[in-house]
Amino acid sequence: MNNKQPDEFKIPIGPQHPALKEPASFSVALKGEKILGVEIRLGYNHRGIEKACEERTYIQDVYLVERICGICSHAHSTCFVQAVEEITGLDVPKRAKYIRTIIGELERVHSHYLWLGVAGHEIGFDTLLMYTWRDREVVMDLLASITGNRVNYGMNTIGGVRQDITRENVKEILGAIKTLEDRTQYYIEVATQEPTVINRLSGVGMISKEDSLKLGAVGPTARASGIEKDVRKDDPYAAYDEINFKVITDDHNDVFGRTVVRLKELLESYSIIKQALSALPDTPISVKAPRKIPAGEAISRYEAPRGEDIHYVKANGTDKPERVKVRAPTLANIQAVRKMLQDRYLADLPIVIAAIDPCFSCTDRLISINNLDKGEQKVMDWMTLRDYSIEWYKGKGVDFSVASKRLGRIS
Amino acid sequence: MEVIDKIVTWARVKSPWVLHFNTGACNACDIEIVAALTPLYDLERFGVLLKATPRHADILLCSGPVTRQVGDRLVRIYEQMAEPKFVVAVGTCATSGGVFKGCYNVKSGIDKVIPVSAYIPGCPASPKAIIDGVTKLLAKIEG
Amino acid sequence: MRAEEDIKEKISARFPAIKGSIRIPRDRRIFLDVPILKFRELMEFSVKDLEFRNLNTITGLDEGENLSFIYHFSKDNGIMVNIKTSITKQDPVIKTITDIFPNAEIYERELVDLFGAKVEGLSPGNRYPLTDDWPKGEYPLRKDWKMKEGECQ
Repeated sequence: MNNKQPDEFKIPIGPQHPALKEPASFSVALKGEKILGVEIRLGYNHRGIEKACEERTYIQDVYLVERICGICSHAHSTCFVQAVEEITGLDVPKRAKYIRTIIGELERVHSHYLWLGVAGHEIGFDTLLMYTWRDREVVMDLLASITGNRVNYGMNTIGGVRQDITRENVKEILGAIKTLEDRTQYYIEVATQEPTVINRLSGVGMISKEDSLKLGAVGPTARASGIEKDVRKDDPYAAYDEINFKVITDDHNDVFGRTVVRLKELLESYSIIKQALSALPDTPISVKAPRKIPAGEAISRYEAPRGEDIHYVKANGTDKPERVKVRAPTLANIQAVRKMLQDRYLADLPIVIAAIDPCFSCTDRLISINNLDKGEQKVMDWMTLRDYSIEWYKGKGVDFSVASKRLGRIS
Repeated sequence: MEVIDKIVTWARVKSPWVLHFNTGACNACDIEIVAALTPLYDLERFGVLLKATPRHADILLCSGPVTRQVGDRLVRIYEQMAEPKFVVAVGTCATSGGVFKGCYNVKSGIDKVIPVSAYIPGCPASPKAIIDGVTKLLAKIEG
Repeated sequence: MRAEEDIKEKISARFPAIKGSIRIPRDRRIFLDVPILKFRELMEFSVKDLEFRNLNTITGLDEGENLSFIYHFSKDNGIMVNIKTSITKQDPVIKTITDIFPNAEIYERELVDLFGAKVEGLSPGNRYPLTDDWPKGEYPLRKDWKMKEGECQ
């Protein structure tokens, strides 16, 4: 059968290292110091959630899907209930939609701060990790105060939200945002003006707009290649059709661009939250949902911090779904990574992977490296690869001490 | 501050080197582990270090319900650790499988695969709970 | 919903046999069913003529005697067209679409592992998401598949 596979993406990686008894998550073929190709093996956090959804009630599934990812838990839970609500024909009250929006944006804020710290850690700029994770605690405390938990907020139910945002909460949120706005401006300054940061991240993990589109990248990863794709604008949900905000894009096509996009998105998030708070409608926070959901199907999309999250739900008239299909954003972005790493240095692997903000725990995954020139095979764990990467770039003159001092001036 | 007292106790009892391994978790517990061990509490001051290799670790902090794909690696990591070694199941999934109990690709808990010395429930386990749990473990070891 | 109706018109004009299956349940959502033999042609029409240039994902469904696959496509303005096609479980063969959509690869691999689909033209590569030692012939998302006692517990 006719098979016009794009060969540029398929390169012989070589056999797996004989000492590896389980699949390496990343198999790299090297020619000299340059990466010829990468194969990615996923599945180590495959838990069998979709099957479990069919065996549990819709309400139980709200709590299950919330735990698909501990960073964007509200994204998955909202995406899911939206599909069920659509099938049922529920008219979700406006206040609930606004609350979902506010929590969703707070989640984006915590996630982007998390990412900044992780990215800093991957390139040996640990001061960034310290400051951003300290700032992130402001958001975590806020979320705990509003919802009762730092993560897995349990805010959603089918038909609305379970808890209201009080006047006290509103004051807390506005106060926190004021602090974070100032800090974000400062991070933007450091990221876009510090030569070491710019040099370290520029030109790394490049992917053209065309390739990014072809490979289906989403979220900040896609937007950093100039693609104006954001579910909040393209396929609005919750309260987004009533709020003004910009879709942030950047034309660098690289890790630097992905950093800038996330930083500027933080500013948009603060604006969205403020607008939503000031326009918070005075309605109930939920409507009653039936236990048995009538036969039907729906697709819900949500702009998670990492990009487009998709839930397809099929109902069959019982209290359990016929089918729940989840396509998390990382699965879309991971397919672009092979292209991003082609012809780059092994030392770039950690930050390029980190820059798609993967929803998996990379620090525990193994990397199998095949040096095709030398006929050498090696297995590395992530921490070792990161150390190698930081040393390699130190050898090229990368030194974050000036940038660290500059960061230290944030109060 | 109460938490700092606990950390100081912890450091006096032992300067544990800790290995963190995710067995297919959703990442929530992993982030709380890192938050407990790095910037906010700066445990490195007290000799608590995150180590990369099992051979150097005293304590294995495990998150996740153990998926089929990582089970063997978890066992191997445990076997590579030198005695005395301790395993802490961090989070409800690591303790019992949590919401994933009964799912077809998980073993539903760390202790289905390797011996566990301490369980820290929570979904996720908060940084304070993690520090508290590990401190209790160290106190128990000490006598 | 003018844009959605317009798309429905265009598809109906070109593929009159499937006109009856086209549903527009809300803004930006079009669902339709197509026999497997017409799938490729309809997909190419949607992509090239109607500009649904983005493949979002592929959902597998166990529908008794048949396996069904919904291919979810979208365009820049947010409209999604969801094309469902079916094959028998006896001969669950579909053809890859990775020549047009390289990112279909991982979604097609999922169908192979979880439903037992056979995807012609899919180049060799790592399976997803199951382990290499997963028992052959066991497809977890099929309705008749239940976890065995003691298995993975």
